[in-house]
Amino acid sequence: MVDRVLVVEDDPGIRSSLRLALEGEGWEVLEAESGEDAFVWLDRGRVDIALVDLMLPGVHGFDVIREIRHRSRLPIVIVTARTDTHDVVAGLELGADDYVTKPFEVRELVARLRALLRRARPTESSPAHFSFGDVEIVPAAGTVTLAGEAVLLTRTEFRLLCELAVHAGQILSREQLLERVWGYDYLGDTRLVDAHIRRLRTKVETDPAHPKLIVTVRGFGYKLEP
Amino acid sequence: MNIGRLLARARGGLRARLIVGFAAVSVMVTAAVSTGTYLLSERYLMRERTETATRQSFVDARLVREVLVAENTTPRQALERVELPVGAQALINRGDEWFGSSVAFGEDSLPIELRRKARDGVAASQRSDLLGELRLVVATPVPSIDLVYYEIVSLDELERTLAVIRSSLMVAAVGTGLAAALVGWWASRRIIRPVAEVSAASARIAGGDLTARLGRQRDAQLQRVSRSFNAMADALQRRIDRDARFASDVSHELRSPLTTLATAADVLAGERESMTPRAAEAADLIATETTRFRRVLEELLELGRADAGADLLEIEDVPLGELVLAIVGSISGGDCVVELAPNVAGTRIATDRRRVTRILTNLLENARTYGLGASLVTVDRDLGVVRISVEDKGPGVPIDQRDAVFERFSRGATAGRRGSEGSASGAGLGLAIVAEHARSLGGRVWVEDGAGGVGARFVVEIPA
Repeated sequence: MVDRVLVVEDDPGIRSSLRLALEGEGWEVLEAESGEDAFVWLDRGRVDIALVDLMLPGVHGFDVIREIRHRSRLPIVIVTARTDTHDVVAGLELGADDYVTKPFEVRELVARLRALLRRARPTESSPAHFSFGDVEIVPAAGTVTLAGEAVLLTRTEFRLLCELAVHAGQILSREQLLERVWGYDYLGDTRLVDAHIRRLRTKVETDPAHPKLIVTVRGFGYKLEP
Repeated sequence: MNIGRLLARARGGLRARLIVGFAAVSVMVTAAVSTGTYLLSERYLMRERTETATRQSFVDARLVREVLVAENTTPRQALERVELPVGAQALINRGDEWFGSSVAFGEDSLPIELRRKARDGVAASQRSDLLGELRLVVATPVPSIDLVYYEIVSLDELERTLAVIRSSLMVAAVGTGLAAALVGWWASRRIIRPVAEVSAASARIAGGDLTARLGRQRDAQLQRVSRSFNAMADALQRRIDRDARFASDVSHELRSPLTTLATAADVLAGERESMTPRAAEAADLIATETTRFRRVLEELLELGRADAGADLLEIEDVPLGELVLAIVGSISGGDCVVELAPNVAGTRIATDRRRVTRILTNLLENARTYGLGASLVTVDRDLGVVRISVEDKGPGVPIDQRDAVFERFSRGATAGRRGSEGSASGAGLGLAIVAEHARSLGGRVWVEDGAGGVGARFVVEIPA
């Protein structure tokens, strides 16, 4: 089945060139020039991954991300015109999985999309079942429950949690997590890890402000307390 | 004393000139006043002494006459009747005969001039150096009995008094000179202080701190200087802000079309096989130049952010050694040796990862473009600083260009030699970005000769 990439971008030039490039990669490209258009595509049928420009006329990119997250675990890559830390972090906090900055290199973008699409598929070889206090993780089914209630995690959050769970009790540095979950080397942005850890905590911690399960080890990284 | 020459010698600066000037003028004035005072007092004291001695001499001469006339004694006996002050001597000359109160003084010791005057019947006095001492000789002719009475008094005491006056005046002159120098120092400080403030503010502006301004001055003249300086700084800041904003706006506007171009170029590159050779070559040109364009734009945007002060520091614990290895590995491959000091390997350092990454990346790319590629990267740490050096085996950087290479749009002397990799380099902003980031991290960057005088070594030092 051909993967369907939703490109939410108001600049017609970028949109068309992206369509050419991504179609060249064997994907089907759904073009949306506004947030409203994007919602139409999402209503209409299957989308495998979304590329969202934050600076959109009308509905802002942030609202598109919020809306997508409200509906699904669809992987999202944000396109930002500025490296403005604020924009990137805000987008990630809303649930975006990754980001690229304009002017980006299309090969870099394709690599990001591929990594995310891979992540979106069910992981094949994982232990059958993890249990930490109230939290139950079933990797094969891709499900997590907190005190018996199902928790909806994005694929990236799920991968992150599984990575921490497999190495429960061990400290994993941001760099290690970037490499194992996102497929980045050392040159990646560690804010990706921090933002996703924060989101993950709001979902699996009883008191996210005082995490008991996923703890920060200052100066080193993160650790899942068994 | 020649002030002009003294001042000329004191070219050490306005301050030194002021201090020397003050001291010189005051010493001159004091010297003139002292000399005048001394001469006046000497004249006055001498006249006083001479008058006293003359009066005393008259009295004594009258006594001698009375004794001689009334008692008909010898002049020597008459002399014994005279009560001379301590140190004074008397002589009587009658005809060719001389009678003295002391054998030490004879007629020969008296000044000839004085003796002649006395013989002519004129009372006179004269200072003379007798027996190694300055003395006053007073001659009083007594015509009624045809003799001349001489009295010789010592001026030693007067000399001592004058010596005391002389030395006090000298001490006063030196003291005034020193005091004046102090006043000069103080005055110069008062004058220099606003100048120093202007100079400090100018230096800050030159160093990139456009917010430097002068405070209110108490003096109206200085206040005018201060006001125009601040007006100039305001204008400069406005202008630089406007230029920076313009560059930033332009760069922002170029982002979208450039993204389109780069993406389209990439699509073309993918279809290269199905193109005619001419089209393929054109596609290659587009791809290469778009890449270069993209890098220039990224550099401009990065500098623009730094200029706008929007690029905030994000300090985190960075595994510096591993980061350096990863960056060198991805840019220079296996040709470059990395040496990590033992206190760097395996430890984390609180710094801004993105900036450090950019600094090292740019230095490595600079080495690749102008220095035949980096040959050695070292990281060491001591006394609160981390030093990262990137060394190459290229032509090095001439001493007179070692500051200029860190300026914007500078490409060094070898800029003309741009190889195939060179065409992928930026606009000559790479090292300017390094300098900007090093500065924002509170550190610095410089370039020196590589080991053994071969190539260049760029060193970045940042606090850690």
